[in-house]
Amino acid sequence: MIPLSHAVARRKLLQWFASAGLGPAIGSKLVADEVGAAKGARELQPTPVEDRPHYPAFLRDGQVIQPERPLPVFRETDVLVVGGGAAGFAAAVSAARAGVKTMLVERYGYLGGLWTGGIVLVVISTHATQNGDLTQVVRGIGGDLMDRLAKVQPGIVNYEPGKHNPTSDPEATKFMMDQMITEAGVDIAFHCWATDVIMEGNTIRGVVFDSKAGRQAILAKVVIDTTGDGDIFAAAGAEHEQRLHAIGLVHRIGNVDRVDKDKLAQAGLKQMGSIEPLPSVRWVNLRGPSTNGLDIAELTRLEIEHRKAIWERVQKIRATPGGEDVYLMQVAPQLGVRTTRLLAGTHQLTYQESREPRTFPDTVAIGGAQNGKHAGWPIPYGVLLPKKLDGLLTAGRSSCVDEKLVEDMRLIASCLTTGHAAGAAAALAVKDNCTPRDVDIAKLQALLKEQGAYLG
Amino acid sequence: MSRWVSLIVIAALVSPWLRSVLPVAAVSPFVALVSAVAARSVGIITLIGLPMLILAVLVPRVFCRFVCPVGFLQEMAARLRLPGRARWRSWPRVGRWFLWLTIGGALAGYPLFVWLDPLALFTGFFSAFRLPTTIATIGAGALLPLAMLLDVLFPGAWCKRMCPLGALQEALAIAKQSLANRTRATDESLFSCPHSPVIPTSSPFALARRPLIASLVGGAGALLARHTAAKPPPLRPPGSLPEDQFTGVCIRCSGCIRVCPSRILKPDLGQHGLAGLLAPVADFDTAYCKEDCNACGQVCPSGAIQRLSLAEKKRSIMGIAKVELSRCWLAEGRDCTACIRSCPYEALSVSSDGFDSHPALDASKCIGCGACEAACPARPERAIRVFSNNLTG
Ligand SMILES: Cc1cc2nc3c(=O)[nH]c(=O)nc-3n(C[C@H](O)[C@H](O)[C@H](O)COP(=O)(O)OP(=O)(O)OC[C@H]3O[C@@H](n4cnc5c(N)ncnc54)[C@H](O)[C@@H]3O)c2cc1C
Repeated sequence: MIPLSHAVARRKLLQWFASAGLGPAIGSKLVADEVGAAKGARELQPTPVEDRPHYPAFLRDGQVIQPERPLPVFRETDVLVVGGGAAGFAAAVSAARAGVKTMLVERYGYLGGLWTGGIVLVVISTHATQNGDLTQVVRGIGGDLMDRLAKVQPGIVNYEPGKHNPTSDPEATKFMMDQMITEAGVDIAFHCWATDVIMEGNTIRGVVFDSKAGRQAILAKVVIDTTGDGDIFAAAGAEHEQRLHAIGLVHRIGNVDRVDKDKLAQAGLKQMGSIEPLPSVRWVNLRGPSTNGLDIAELTRLEIEHRKAIWERVQKIRATPGGEDVYLMQVAPQLGVRTTRLLAGTHQLTYQESREPRTFPDTVAIGGAQNGKHAGWPIPYGVLLPKKLDGLLTAGRSSCVDEKLVEDMRLIASCLTTGHAAGAAAALAVKDNCTPRDVDIAKLQALLKEQGAYLG
Repeated sequence: MSRWVSLIVIAALVSPWLRSVLPVAAVSPFVALVSAVAARSVGIITLIGLPMLILAVLVPRVFCRFVCPVGFLQEMAARLRLPGRARWRSWPRVGRWFLWLTIGGALAGYPLFVWLDPLALFTGFFSAFRLPTTIATIGAGALLPLAMLLDVLFPGAWCKRMCPLGALQEALAIAKQSLANRTRATDESLFSCPHSPVIPTSSPFALARRPLIASLVGGAGALLARHTAAKPPPLRPPGSLPEDQFTGVCIRCSGCIRVCPSRILKPDLGQHGLAGLLAPVADFDTAYCKEDCNACGQVCPSGAIQRLSLAEKKRSIMGIAKVELSRCWLAEGRDCTACIRSCPYEALSVSSDGFDSHPALDASKCIGCGACEAACPARPERAIRVFSNNLTG
């Protein structure tokens, strides 16, 4: 028999313990010791899957049983942000800039979520009319990002002073997010799909994710759920609502400058998409049917049906006089799921509240006006905070709002600002050694302002 | 010395009204009578003015003497009288003509000169301070000072010669007198008050001839005015009379404009023709007609805006929304549902065949409150706007 290294020998022993049913207590201690050497050390690579003990699921009485097993701890961090969309990006950068150890996991290979991967390019309601003036309400992390995009070509259009609702280039946005995330010192892991949570009583202590490197755990003092779909708070058992919404799929077409709009309109092809920084390219929205964005069968059906509809539509444009040169440039890699789960927060912000002048003692962000003409609406901290669960915040499109206000809250602008607020709050909770629920609001607002956020 | 006293009294009388929105003009029997005739209905607010009408039959010029603030102001102003000759006796009695033209007009649905009612002038003056300063509003606000100035220069010229409300009371007195004449001799003592009219003692037919002619002219004028009503009509407050009557019955007191909490009512500055000048028009630029408000109808003294209960108001149609797809964000492919969400009556929904989406209107639910128009983000022109459909003329 070929002698095993000590480590492998230990693992084998461990495996034996576990499969003998004696394992959990001893096993988890050992695994934690083994992989736990990673604690605080960012450069540490996880043990390859092959070298780890195996605990395959098995059938018992026709049921698939997942054996109890210890999980390798991939990282231990202060703030863990799950989901790198607009909200998660802003949260991670804010927390890291506030000086706490921050980690971000993202199931895909790029940042930006629906903004970049869903090809939803226009950042609506970046501004509002405050005290009679068109005022940018998306500042801080989101503002920094757009400022940087304005310095590259092609980066962002309609971002000059006096304008609002800019449109950014998806590749430039992804690139710039990468830059800002690494610059801020966020420990980022792509291709990690969070699947479960680690609980200690009523408090979330981390998440479990699946990856090419197997199923592993990340321990954290505060977790921010910016998966957009509330995957994390749902797994943690936090009270939430589930809504249906139209699910679409965006695509982009090229050579739009060469079309004869009138001829196409006559053929019933009116929607030629919205402008982008790239010349002659348009992104075309698709509304789609209202359905459940958490249902695999629906998601699969819609991917196929929408892609077919897009294909046929572009073919139709090409077959119509005046549209021959148009080509299908891209179908968004991410399906356009607008709303699924919404957290039941300590404050459900209503459309009515947002349309009347008011202030909240715990305002942490200002929502913009879609047309820039109306006053901004204050967003209270309570929309990010679960009713009972501790150690967790949400932000972005899963924030706690009523059915009508979803349409404003899910806009990229509000995702950026609420993400920023959640990141700062999480950092403060870590620093003050308290739960997000007990964060000192005055301190939080001061930190947000220090980071450039606009609070009215 | 007495001049100063007069000035102080005038100031004391005037100042409380600067902020009030009470339907003061409802007390005027002239307003009550002609607006009830024009609208062919008697509302609660009419019932305030009618007793005064009955009283005016019993006591000559009772309104002028005991109620009319303009009359009182005139008296005070008269004390400011500058030395010189009073020449009011040579002024024509145009008030009678205003009266009969207006009554004739009211019979034809359009009381031509109701806005010359002294209480309308009175409230119009105070409204002018609360409205945007334009030539039209200054003009409306200037009528009361003008009338007073006239009386300072020519004592009694307004009250005794031009005021249609004065003429109404006079006419009632004459009618009563001529009835009495048939049965007994003239009792001069009845008219002992200083304002007493000069009572001609001719036959009833002769008495009625001029009013008849004036009324006929007024009726013809009314028909003409109704015929020329703005088309399409401007958006009026909820519960407004049909457009071809509204501009006639509205006395331009601006009470509705001032009381509207959403500030959507604005004085018409001539955008819709002369007939509508200074009447309230609804403008949904920044706000809409709230579903839980019926304030404008409550303060309207003439019934041009009917008093509606909140339940009635929610069914009262001001207009109807219309979408212009070429400007609509949703139709352009943005995820905009601003109008749909804003609609308090759930009259709008998303209609989509995938790539082409647009707001769809359920016309049976839309009352034209303007919430969608106020919410629409499209600029410079909005994609959804409310158009009046309250046209009947
Ligand atoms: C078709 C369509 C059109 C739209 N049009 C506009 C528009 O014109 N203007 C506008 O401002 N907004 C628009 N929106 C809304 C807006 O794009 C999104 O609501 C917004 O980008 C959401 O940001 P987010 O960060 O909250 O969530 P997301 O962008 O959804 O980000 C969530 C991120 O988390 C990751 N993730 C999810 N689950 C997990 C998991 N379990 N583990 C790890 N990672 C996970 C995802 O991959 C993603 O990167 C539109 C949306 C759609 C669908």
